[in-house]
Amino acid sequence: MITLENVSKSYDHKHKVLKDIFLAIKPGEFVSIVGQSGAGKTTLVRLLIGEERADEGKVMIGDWDITRLRRREIPYLRRQIGVIFQDFKLLPKKTLEENVAFALQVCGEKSSKTKKIVPSVLKIVGLDDKRKRYPSEVSGGEQQRVAIARALVHQPKILLVDEPTGNLDAINANEIINLLLRINRFGTTVVLVTHNKEIVNRLNHRVITMENGQIISDRAHGKYLL
Amino acid sequence: MPSLYHIIKFSFQDIVRNIWLTIVTITILLLALFSINTLATVRLISDNAVAAIKEKIDISLYLKPETAESEIIALKNKIAASAKVKEVIYTSKQSAIVSFRAKYENDPTVLAALQELGRNPLSPSLTVIPKNFDESNLVINDLKMLDSSIIESRDFSDNSAILNKINNITKRVNEVGLVLIMIFVLTSLLVVYNTIRVAIYTHRQEIEIMRLVGASNSFIFMPYVFSALVYALVSILIIISIFYPFLTLLQPYLETFFMGYNVNILSYFVDNFFLIFGVQLLAVLVINIVASLFAVRKYAKV
Repeated sequence: MITLENVSKSYDHKHKVLKDIFLAIKPGEFVSIVGQSGAGKTTLVRLLIGEERADEGKVMIGDWDITRLRRREIPYLRRQIGVIFQDFKLLPKKTLEENVAFALQVCGEKSSKTKKIVPSVLKIVGLDDKRKRYPSEVSGGEQQRVAIARALVHQPKILLVDEPTGNLDAINANEIINLLLRINRFGTTVVLVTHNKEIVNRLNHRVITMENGQIISDRAHGKYLL
Repeated sequence: MPSLYHIIKFSFQDIVRNIWLTIVTITILLLALFSINTLATVRLISDNAVAAIKEKIDISLYLKPETAESEIIALKNKIAASAKVKEVIYTSKQSAIVSFRAKYENDPTVLAALQELGRNPLSPSLTVIPKNFDESNLVINDLKMLDSSIIESRDFSDNSAILNKINNITKRVNEVGLVLIMIFVLTSLLVVYNTIRVAIYTHRQEIEIMRLVGASNSFIFMPYVFSALVYALVSILIIISIFYPFLTLLQPYLETFFMGYNVNILSYFVDNFFLIFGVQLLAVLVINIVASLFAVRKYAKV
Protein backbone atom coordinates (compact mmCIF):
# COMPACT_ATOMS: atom_id res chain seq x y z
CA MET A 1 0.00 0.00 0.00
CA ILE A 2 2.81 2.45 0.90
CA THR A 3 5.96 2.19 -1.19
CA LEU A 4 9.02 4.39 -1.34
CA GLU A 5 11.50 3.72 -4.10
CA ASN A 6 14.94 5.26 -4.01
CA VAL A 7 13.64 8.36 -2.21
CA SER A 8 16.00 11.19 -1.31
CA LYS A 9 15.29 14.59 0.16
CA SER A 10 17.37 17.56 1.20
CA TYR A 11 16.35 21.00 2.41
CA ASP A 12 19.51 22.86 1.39
CA HIS A 13 20.66 20.83 -1.64
CA LYS A 14 23.82 19.88 0.29
CA HIS A 15 22.88 17.59 3.16
CA LYS A 16 20.37 14.84 2.44
CA VAL A 17 17.92 14.24 5.28
CA LEU A 18 16.67 11.10 3.48
CA LYS A 19 19.04 8.99 1.38
CA ASP A 20 17.91 6.34 -1.11
CA ILE A 21 15.02 5.05 0.96
CA PHE A 22 13.36 1.81 -0.17
CA LEU A 23 10.33 0.88 1.86
CA ALA A 24 7.10 -1.09 1.44
CA ILE A 25 4.28 -1.19 3.98
CA LYS A 26 1.41 -3.62 3.40
CA PRO A 27 -2.25 -2.80 4.10
CA GLY A 28 -3.22 -3.46 7.72
CA GLU A 29 0.35 -3.46 9.03
CA PHE A 30 1.43 -1.81 12.28
CA VAL A 31 4.89 -0.38 11.66
CA SER A 32 7.08 1.53 14.07
CA ILE A 33 9.69 3.86 12.62
CA VAL A 34 12.35 4.59 15.19
CA GLY A 35 15.49 6.62 15.29
CA GLN A 36 17.18 9.47 17.06
CA SER A 37 16.38 13.15 16.43
CA GLY A 38 17.51 14.16 12.95
CA ALA A 39 17.32 10.60 11.63
CA GLY A 40 14.72 11.67 9.01
CA LYS A 41 11.56 10.17 10.59
CA THR A 42 9.49 13.35 10.52
CA THR A 43 10.63 14.19 6.97
CA LEU A 44 9.36 10.76 5.96
CA VAL A 45 5.94 11.55 7.49
CA ARG A 46 5.90 14.95 5.77
CA LEU A 47 6.57 13.25 2.43
CA LEU A 48 3.71 10.83 3.01
CA ILE A 49 1.18 13.60 3.70
CA GLY A 50 2.33 15.70 0.74
CA GLU A 51 3.77 18.44 2.96
CA GLU A 52 7.16 17.97 1.30
CA ARG A 53 8.17 16.65 -2.10
CA ALA A 54 10.95 14.11 -2.65
CA ASP A 55 13.95 15.36 -4.64
CA GLU A 56 14.48 11.92 -6.12
CA GLY A 57 12.56 8.66 -6.22
CA LYS A 58 8.91 7.77 -6.03
CA VAL A 59 6.42 7.72 -3.14
CA MET A 60 3.26 5.71 -3.74
CA ILE A 61 0.19 5.39 -1.55
CA GLY A 62 -2.07 2.82 -3.13
CA ASP A 63 -2.20 3.85 -6.78
CA TRP A 64 -1.40 7.44 -5.89
CA ASP A 65 2.02 8.77 -6.89
CA ILE A 66 2.62 11.40 -4.20
CA THR A 67 5.71 12.72 -5.98
CA ARG A 68 3.57 13.80 -8.91
CA LEU A 69 0.67 15.04 -6.85
CA ARG A 70 -0.75 18.38 -7.90
CA ARG A 71 -1.27 21.07 -5.26
CA ARG A 72 -5.05 20.89 -5.46
CA GLU A 73 -5.01 17.11 -5.02
CA ILE A 74 -3.24 17.25 -1.65
CA PRO A 75 -6.45 17.82 0.39
CA TYR A 76 -7.94 14.64 -1.09
CA LEU A 77 -4.81 12.68 -0.12
CA ARG A 78 -5.03 13.99 3.43
CA ARG A 79 -8.61 12.78 3.74
CA GLN A 80 -7.29 9.28 3.05
CA ILE A 81 -4.56 9.54 5.68
CA GLY A 82 -5.15 10.35 9.33
CA VAL A 83 -2.28 12.27 10.90
CA ILE A 84 -1.56 12.60 14.60
CA PHE A 85 1.17 14.76 16.09
CA GLN A 86 2.91 15.02 19.43
CA ASP A 87 1.39 18.47 20.16
CA PHE A 88 -2.21 17.29 19.44
CA LYS A 89 -3.00 20.36 17.27
CA LEU A 90 -6.41 21.00 18.80
CA LEU A 91 -8.23 24.33 18.65
CA PRO A 92 -8.40 25.65 22.22
CA LYS A 93 -11.60 27.66 21.72
CA LYS A 94 -13.58 24.70 20.42
CA THR A 95 -15.00 21.87 22.51
CA LEU A 96 -13.71 18.32 21.98
CA GLU A 97 -16.80 17.57 19.90
CA GLU A 98 -16.34 20.74 17.81
CA ASN A 99 -12.66 19.93 17.25
CA VAL A 100 -13.61 16.57 15.78
CA ALA A 101 -16.51 18.02 13.78
CA PHE A 102 -14.17 20.71 12.41
CA ALA A 103 -12.35 18.07 10.31
CA LEU A 104 -15.62 17.21 8.58
CA GLN A 105 -16.94 20.78 8.29
CA VAL A 106 -13.83 22.08 6.55
CA CYS A 107 -14.16 19.32 3.98
CA GLY A 108 -17.69 20.44 3.24
CA GLU A 109 -19.52 17.49 4.82
CA LYS A 110 -23.22 17.90 5.55
CA SER A 111 -24.11 18.63 9.17
CA SER A 112 -26.35 15.54 9.28
CA LYS A 113 -23.32 13.36 8.52
CA THR A 114 -21.21 15.28 11.04
CA LYS A 115 -23.84 14.75 13.75
CA LYS A 116 -23.81 11.02 13.02
CA ILE A 117 -20.04 10.42 12.78
CA VAL A 118 -18.67 12.64 15.57
CA PRO A 119 -20.35 10.88 18.54
CA SER A 120 -19.37 7.47 17.18
CA VAL A 121 -15.65 8.29 16.85
CA LEU A 122 -15.67 9.97 20.27
CA LYS A 123 -17.13 6.73 21.62
CA ILE A 124 -14.35 4.68 19.96
CA VAL A 125 -11.71 6.79 21.76
CA GLY A 126 -13.72 6.71 25.00
CA LEU A 127 -14.53 10.39 25.25
CA ASP A 128 -18.26 10.52 24.47
CA ASP A 129 -19.00 11.68 28.03
CA LYS A 130 -16.53 14.60 27.80
CA ARG A 131 -17.50 15.88 24.37
CA LYS A 132 -18.67 19.30 25.63
CA ARG A 133 -15.38 20.02 27.41
CA TYR A 134 -12.59 22.21 26.07
CA PRO A 135 -9.05 20.86 25.43
CA SER A 136 -7.75 22.76 28.48
CA GLU A 137 -10.27 20.91 30.68
CA VAL A 138 -8.98 17.40 29.86
CA SER A 139 -5.65 15.58 30.31
CA GLY A 140 -2.89 15.31 27.70
CA GLY A 141 -3.81 11.69 27.02
CA GLU A 142 -7.42 12.67 26.43
CA GLN A 143 -6.36 15.49 24.13
CA GLN A 144 -4.33 12.99 22.11
CA ARG A 145 -7.37 10.72 21.96
CA VAL A 146 -9.39 13.64 20.56
CA ALA A 147 -6.67 14.09 17.90
CA ILE A 148 -7.02 10.39 17.07
CA ALA A 149 -10.81 10.72 16.90
CA ARG A 150 -10.40 13.67 14.54
CA ALA A 151 -8.02 11.64 12.37
CA LEU A 152 -10.59 8.83 12.22
CA VAL A 153 -13.59 10.87 11.01
CA HIS A 154 -12.63 10.41 7.36
CA GLN A 155 -12.27 6.66 7.98
CA PRO A 156 -8.69 6.69 6.71
CA LYS A 157 -6.95 3.58 5.45
CA ILE A 158 -3.65 4.83 6.88
CA LEU A 159 -2.92 6.46 10.21
CA LEU A 160 0.40 8.32 10.49
CA VAL A 161 1.27 8.91 14.12
CA ASP A 162 4.27 11.15 14.79
CA GLU A 163 5.56 10.90 18.38
CA PRO A 164 2.07 10.55 19.89
CA THR A 165 3.34 9.82 23.38
CA GLY A 166 6.07 12.46 23.55
CA ASN A 167 4.01 14.75 25.80
CA LEU A 168 2.37 12.00 27.85
CA ASP A 169 3.13 10.07 31.02
CA ALA A 170 3.56 6.28 30.89
CA ILE A 171 -0.06 5.43 31.72
CA ASN A 172 -1.52 7.80 29.13
CA ALA A 173 1.11 6.70 26.60
CA ASN A 174 0.06 3.06 27.06
CA GLU A 175 -3.61 3.98 26.65
CA ILE A 176 -2.84 5.72 23.35
CA ILE A 177 -0.83 2.77 22.06
CA ASN A 178 -3.64 0.38 23.05
CA LEU A 179 -6.08 2.56 21.17
CA LEU A 180 -3.84 2.53 18.09
CA LEU A 181 -3.60 -1.26 18.29
CA ARG A 182 -7.39 -1.46 18.45
CA ILE A 183 -7.72 0.78 15.41
CA ASN A 184 -5.14 -1.37 13.61
CA ARG A 185 -7.19 -4.47 14.37
CA PHE A 186 -10.10 -2.89 12.44
CA GLY A 187 -7.80 -2.97 9.38
CA THR A 188 -6.24 0.48 9.39
CA THR A 189 -2.53 0.61 8.56
CA VAL A 190 -0.72 2.36 11.40
CA VAL A 191 2.69 3.99 10.91
CA LEU A 192 4.03 4.98 14.31
CA VAL A 193 7.03 7.31 14.46
CA THR A 194 8.58 7.26 17.91
CA HIS A 195 11.72 7.09 19.97
CA ASN A 196 9.96 5.53 22.97
CA LYS A 197 11.96 2.33 23.53
CA GLU A 198 9.54 0.67 25.98
CA ILE A 199 6.58 1.06 23.68
CA VAL A 200 8.38 -0.27 20.63
CA ASN A 201 9.71 -3.26 22.52
CA ARG A 202 6.30 -4.03 24.01
CA LEU A 203 4.53 -3.89 20.63
CA ASN A 204 6.53 -6.71 19.04
CA HIS A 205 5.50 -5.54 15.54
CA ARG A 206 7.57 -4.55 12.53
CA VAL A 207 10.27 -1.98 13.42
CA ILE A 208 12.14 0.15 10.90
CA THR A 209 15.21 1.85 12.32
CA MET A 210 16.57 5.01 10.75
CA GLU A 211 19.88 6.75 11.17
CA ASN A 212 21.27 9.75 9.28
CA GLY A 213 18.46 9.62 6.71
CA GLN A 214 18.89 5.92 5.93
CA ILE A 215 17.10 2.74 6.92
CA ILE A 216 19.63 0.71 8.85
CA SER A 217 17.30 -2.07 9.97
CA ASP A 218 13.85 -3.41 9.06
CA ARG A 219 12.61 -6.35 11.19
CA ALA A 220 9.20 -8.02 11.22
CA HIS A 221 9.14 -8.43 15.02
CA GLY A 222 11.81 -5.96 15.92
CA LYS A 223 13.13 -4.27 19.00
CA TYR A 224 14.41 -0.75 19.55
CA LEU A 225 18.05 -1.10 18.53
CA LEU A 226 19.57 2.32 19.19
CA MET B 1 -17.55 22.14 -2.20
CA PRO B 2 -17.29 24.08 1.05
CA SER B 3 -20.61 25.32 2.37
CA LEU B 4 -21.42 28.99 2.01
CA TYR B 5 -22.48 29.07 5.65
CA HIS B 6 -19.01 28.09 6.86
CA ILE B 7 -17.28 30.51 4.49
CA ILE B 8 -19.44 33.40 5.73
CA LYS B 9 -19.04 32.32 9.36
CA PHE B 10 -15.24 32.12 9.14
CA SER B 11 -15.12 35.42 7.26
CA PHE B 12 -17.14 37.29 9.89
CA GLN B 13 -15.00 35.75 12.62
CA ASP B 14 -12.00 37.32 10.87
CA ILE B 15 -13.63 40.69 10.57
CA VAL B 16 -14.72 40.79 14.22
CA ARG B 17 -11.48 39.37 15.67
CA ASN B 18 -9.46 41.99 13.79
CA ILE B 19 -11.94 44.83 14.13
CA TRP B 20 -9.31 47.61 14.24
CA LEU B 21 -7.65 46.34 11.10
CA THR B 22 -11.07 46.17 9.47
CA ILE B 23 -11.72 49.80 10.43
CA VAL B 24 -8.33 50.94 9.06
CA THR B 25 -8.86 49.02 5.82
CA ILE B 26 -12.31 50.46 5.25
CA THR B 27 -11.04 53.97 6.10
CA ILE B 28 -8.29 53.74 3.47
CA LEU B 29 -10.78 52.45 0.91
CA LEU B 30 -13.09 55.34 1.84
CA LEU B 31 -10.30 57.89 1.29
CA ALA B 32 -9.61 56.39 -2.13
CA LEU B 33 -13.31 56.45 -3.05
CA PHE B 34 -13.78 59.98 -1.70
CA SER B 35 -10.89 61.28 -3.79
CA ILE B 36 -12.28 59.57 -6.89
CA ASN B 37 -15.76 61.01 -6.36
CA THR B 38 -14.42 64.47 -5.54
CA LEU B 39 -12.40 64.40 -8.73
CA ALA B 40 -15.50 63.37 -10.68
CA THR B 41 -17.42 66.27 -9.11
CA VAL B 42 -14.67 68.79 -9.92
CA ARG B 43 -14.61 67.50 -13.48
CA LEU B 44 -18.36 67.87 -13.76
CA ILE B 45 -18.30 71.40 -12.36
CA SER B 46 -15.52 72.45 -14.74
CA ASP B 47 -17.39 70.94 -17.70
CA ASN B 48 -20.44 72.96 -16.70
CA ALA B 49 -18.34 76.10 -16.26
CA VAL B 50 -16.80 75.67 -19.70
CA ALA B 51 -20.23 75.12 -21.25
CA ALA B 52 -21.55 78.21 -19.49
CA ILE B 53 -18.67 80.38 -20.67
CA LYS B 54 -18.97 79.08 -24.20
CA GLU B 55 -22.59 80.19 -24.16
CA LYS B 56 -21.42 83.65 -23.21
CA ILE B 57 -19.03 84.05 -26.14
CA ASP B 58 -20.43 87.09 -27.91
CA ILE B 59 -19.31 87.98 -31.39
CA SER B 60 -21.60 90.76 -32.57
CA LEU B 61 -21.60 93.29 -35.35
CA TYR B 62 -23.67 96.44 -34.70
CA LEU B 63 -25.04 98.00 -37.84
CA LYS B 64 -25.96 101.54 -38.72
CA PRO B 65 -29.59 102.28 -37.60
CA GLU B 66 -30.80 103.45 -40.99
CA THR B 67 -29.48 100.40 -42.92
CA ALA B 68 -32.00 98.77 -45.21
CA GLU B 69 -33.21 95.28 -44.28
CA SER B 70 -32.02 93.84 -47.62
CA GLU B 71 -28.46 95.01 -47.01
CA ILE B 72 -28.44 93.47 -43.55
CA ILE B 73 -29.72 90.14 -44.92
CA ALA B 74 -27.04 90.22 -47.64
CA LEU B 75 -24.31 90.77 -45.03
CA LYS B 76 -25.81 88.05 -42.84
CA ASN B 77 -25.73 85.56 -45.72
CA LYS B 78 -22.17 86.53 -46.59
CA ILE B 79 -20.97 85.84 -43.04
CA ALA B 80 -23.04 82.64 -42.73
CA ALA B 81 -21.37 81.30 -45.89
CA SER B 82 -18.09 80.91 -43.96
CA ALA B 83 -17.21 77.31 -43.05
CA LYS B 84 -16.22 78.45 -39.54
CA VAL B 85 -19.62 79.94 -38.80
CA LYS B 86 -22.45 77.86 -37.45
CA GLU B 87 -25.17 80.48 -37.36
CA VAL B 88 -25.75 84.20 -37.73
CA ILE B 89 -28.60 85.67 -35.73
CA TYR B 90 -30.13 88.92 -36.88
CA THR B 91 -31.62 91.18 -34.22
CA SER B 92 -33.60 94.03 -35.67
CA LYS B 93 -33.85 97.46 -34.02
CA GLN B 94 -37.39 96.57 -32.89
CA SER B 95 -36.38 93.21 -31.37
CA ALA B 96 -33.41 94.85 -29.66
CA ILE B 97 -35.58 97.43 -27.92
CA VAL B 98 -38.09 94.74 -26.85
CA SER B 99 -35.39 92.63 -25.21
CA PHE B 100 -33.78 95.75 -23.72
CA ARG B 101 -37.08 96.71 -22.11
CA ALA B 102 -37.57 93.15 -20.84
CA LYS B 103 -34.06 93.12 -19.41
CA TYR B 104 -34.54 96.38 -17.51
CA GLU B 105 -38.20 96.00 -16.61
CA ASN B 106 -37.33 96.32 -12.93
CA ASP B 107 -35.11 99.34 -13.40
CA PRO B 108 -37.36 102.44 -13.66
CA THR B 109 -34.37 104.82 -14.12
CA VAL B 110 -33.25 103.12 -17.33
CA LEU B 111 -36.81 102.89 -18.63
CA ALA B 112 -37.42 106.57 -17.80
CA ALA B 113 -34.24 107.56 -19.67
CA LEU B 114 -35.45 105.60 -22.68
CA GLN B 115 -38.84 107.34 -22.44
CA GLU B 116 -37.06 110.71 -22.24
CA LEU B 117 -35.11 109.96 -25.40
CA GLY B 118 -38.35 109.48 -27.32
CA ARG B 119 -36.84 107.21 -30.00
CA ASN B 120 -35.24 103.80 -30.39
CA PRO B 121 -31.53 104.40 -29.81
CA LEU B 122 -30.48 100.81 -30.44
CA SER B 123 -28.85 99.52 -33.59
CA PRO B 124 -29.69 96.36 -35.47
CA SER B 125 -27.07 93.67 -34.92
CA LEU B 126 -25.73 90.35 -36.22
CA THR B 127 -24.60 87.80 -33.65
CA VAL B 128 -22.17 85.27 -35.05
CA ILE B 129 -21.95 81.79 -33.52
CA PRO B 130 -18.81 79.88 -34.48
CA LYS B 131 -18.99 76.21 -35.40
CA ASN B 132 -16.21 75.36 -33.02
CA PHE B 133 -15.79 77.49 -29.91
CA ASP B 134 -12.09 76.77 -29.82
CA GLU B 135 -11.82 78.44 -33.22
CA SER B 136 -13.67 81.60 -32.21
CA ASN B 137 -10.40 83.54 -32.60
CA LEU B 138 -10.32 82.75 -36.31
CA VAL B 139 -13.93 83.87 -36.76
CA ILE B 140 -13.14 87.10 -34.93
CA ASN B 141 -10.13 87.71 -37.19
CA ASP B 142 -12.29 87.19 -40.29
CA LEU B 143 -14.91 89.61 -38.98
CA LYS B 144 -12.26 92.20 -38.15
CA MET B 145 -11.14 92.13 -41.77
CA LEU B 146 -14.70 92.28 -43.10
CA ASP B 147 -15.18 95.50 -44.98
CA SER B 148 -18.74 96.77 -45.10
CA SER B 149 -20.08 100.29 -44.97
CA ILE B 150 -23.14 99.31 -42.96
CA ILE B 151 -21.10 98.14 -39.93
CA GLU B 152 -21.22 100.73 -37.20
CA SER B 153 -19.20 98.90 -34.53
CA ARG B 154 -17.82 95.47 -33.73
CA ASP B 155 -18.04 93.82 -30.27
CA PHE B 156 -15.86 90.80 -29.79
CA SER B 157 -15.94 89.89 -26.14
CA ASP B 158 -13.45 87.08 -26.58
CA ASN B 159 -13.68 84.61 -23.69
CA SER B 160 -11.15 82.20 -25.10
CA ALA B 161 -8.57 83.30 -22.51
CA ILE B 162 -10.95 82.38 -19.68
CA LEU B 163 -11.78 79.13 -21.46
CA ASN B 164 -8.10 78.30 -21.71
CA LYS B 165 -7.66 79.09 -18.05
CA ILE B 166 -10.53 76.81 -17.04
CA ASN B 167 -9.25 74.06 -19.31
CA ASN B 168 -5.79 74.41 -17.78
CA ILE B 169 -7.15 74.30 -14.23
CA THR B 170 -9.26 71.23 -15.08
CA LYS B 171 -6.26 69.55 -16.64
CA ARG B 172 -4.15 70.28 -13.57
CA VAL B 173 -6.90 69.08 -11.20
CA ASN B 174 -7.20 65.91 -13.26
CA GLU B 175 -3.45 65.33 -13.16
CA VAL B 176 -3.17 65.90 -9.41
CA GLY B 177 -6.36 63.89 -8.87
CA LEU B 178 -5.04 60.97 -10.90
CA VAL B 179 -1.82 60.93 -8.89
CA LEU B 180 -3.88 61.04 -5.68
CA ILE B 181 -6.10 58.22 -6.91
CA MET B 182 -3.05 56.14 -7.86
CA ILE B 183 -1.58 56.69 -4.39
CA PHE B 184 -4.84 55.72 -2.72
CA VAL B 185 -5.32 52.68 -4.95
CA LEU B 186 -1.78 51.50 -4.19
CA THR B 187 -2.26 52.19 -0.47
CA SER B 188 -5.58 50.30 -0.56
CA LEU B 189 -3.89 47.32 -2.20
CA LEU B 190 -1.16 47.26 0.45
CA VAL B 191 -3.57 47.80 3.34
CA VAL B 192 -5.97 45.07 2.21
CA TYR B 193 -2.99 42.77 1.62
CA ASN B 194 -1.72 43.48 5.14
CA THR B 195 -5.15 43.06 6.70
CA ILE B 196 -5.59 39.64 5.13
CA ARG B 197 -2.02 38.74 6.12
CA VAL B 198 -2.74 39.60 9.76
CA ALA B 199 -6.07 37.76 9.58
CA ILE B 200 -4.20 34.70 8.33
CA TYR B 201 -1.65 35.11 11.12
CA THR B 202 -4.35 35.15 13.79
CA HIS B 203 -5.89 32.06 12.19
CA ARG B 204 -2.61 30.26 11.55
CA GLN B 205 -3.46 27.43 13.97
CA GLU B 206 -6.85 26.89 12.37
CA ILE B 207 -5.35 27.02 8.89
CA GLU B 208 -2.68 24.50 9.85
CA ILE B 209 -5.33 22.13 11.17
CA MET B 210 -7.57 22.72 8.15
CA ARG B 211 -4.74 21.75 5.84
CA LEU B 212 -3.88 18.78 8.02
CA VAL B 213 -7.38 17.33 7.93
CA GLY B 214 -7.76 17.84 4.18
CA ALA B 215 -9.69 21.09 3.83
CA SER B 216 -9.78 22.10 0.19
CA ASN B 217 -7.75 25.15 -0.82
CA SER B 218 -10.91 27.01 -1.77
CA PHE B 219 -12.30 26.44 1.73
CA ILE B 220 -9.15 27.94 3.24
CA PHE B 221 -8.96 31.03 1.03
CA MET B 222 -12.65 31.70 0.33
CA PRO B 223 -13.38 33.28 3.77
CA TYR B 224 -10.57 35.80 3.17
CA VAL B 225 -11.86 36.62 -0.30
CA PHE B 226 -15.33 36.97 1.22
CA SER B 227 -13.90 39.36 3.85
CA ALA B 228 -12.42 41.43 1.01
CA LEU B 229 -15.88 41.49 -0.58
CA VAL B 230 -17.38 42.73 2.70
CA TYR B 231 -14.75 45.51 2.94
CA ALA B 232 -15.61 46.61 -0.61
CA LEU B 233 -19.37 46.59 0.00
CA VAL B 234 -19.18 48.39 3.35
CA SER B 235 -16.84 51.08 1.98
CA ILE B 236 -19.11 51.70 -1.03
CA LEU B 237 -22.19 51.93 1.21
CA ILE B 238 -20.42 54.38 3.53
CA ILE B 239 -19.17 56.53 0.64
CA ILE B 240 -22.72 56.70 -0.75
CA SER B 241 -24.06 57.76 2.64
CA ILE B 242 -21.31 60.43 2.96
CA PHE B 243 -21.25 61.70 -0.61
CA TYR B 244 -24.94 62.37 -1.16
CA PRO B 245 -25.32 64.69 1.87
CA PHE B 246 -22.06 66.36 0.74
CA LEU B 247 -23.54 66.97 -2.73
CA THR B 248 -26.80 68.20 -1.20
CA LEU B 249 -24.80 70.79 0.76
CA LEU B 250 -22.76 71.77 -2.30
CA GLN B 251 -25.68 72.10 -4.70
CA PRO B 252 -27.06 75.51 -3.46
CA TYR B 253 -23.58 77.06 -3.78
CA LEU B 254 -23.26 75.75 -7.31
CA GLU B 255 -26.70 77.04 -8.22
CA THR B 256 -25.74 80.49 -6.97
CA PHE B 257 -22.44 80.39 -8.82
CA PHE B 258 -23.97 79.21 -12.10
CA MET B 259 -27.04 81.39 -11.84
CA GLY B 260 -29.17 81.02 -14.95
CA TYR B 261 -27.57 77.75 -15.99
CA ASN B 262 -28.80 74.26 -15.33
CA VAL B 263 -26.01 72.87 -13.17
CA ASN B 264 -27.27 70.04 -10.98
CA ILE B 265 -24.51 67.80 -9.70
CA LEU B 266 -26.85 66.01 -7.29
CA SER B 267 -29.27 64.96 -10.01
CA TYR B 268 -26.33 63.87 -12.17
CA PHE B 269 -25.15 61.55 -9.40
CA VAL B 270 -28.72 60.30 -8.79
CA ASP B 271 -29.35 59.67 -12.52
CA ASN B 272 -26.04 57.86 -12.96
CA PHE B 273 -26.06 56.13 -9.56
CA PHE B 274 -25.61 52.57 -10.83
CA LEU B 275 -22.97 53.52 -13.37
CA ILE B 276 -20.88 55.63 -10.98
CA PHE B 277 -21.05 53.43 -7.88
CA GLY B 278 -21.28 50.17 -9.83
CA VAL B 279 -17.96 50.87 -11.53
CA GLN B 280 -16.44 51.93 -8.22
CA LEU B 281 -17.71 48.79 -6.48
CA LEU B 282 -16.27 46.67 -9.27
CA ALA B 283 -12.91 48.45 -9.05
CA VAL B 284 -12.72 48.13 -5.24
CA LEU B 285 -13.73 44.47 -5.51
CA VAL B 286 -10.98 43.77 -8.03
CA ILE B 287 -8.37 45.57 -5.86
CA ASN B 288 -9.48 43.73 -2.71
CA ILE B 289 -9.71 40.30 -4.29
CA VAL B 290 -6.33 40.65 -6.01
CA ALA B 291 -4.70 41.80 -2.73
CA SER B 292 -6.33 39.03 -0.69
CA LEU B 293 -5.45 36.32 -3.21
CA PHE B 294 -1.81 37.40 -3.14
CA ALA B 295 -1.80 37.43 0.68
CA VAL B 296 -3.50 34.03 0.94
CA ARG B 297 -1.19 32.45 -1.64
CA LYS B 298 1.85 33.72 0.19
CA TYR B 299 0.92 33.27 3.84
CA ALA B 300 -1.70 30.50 3.93
CA LYS B 301 0.29 28.36 1.48
CA VAL B 302 -2.77 27.22 -0.45
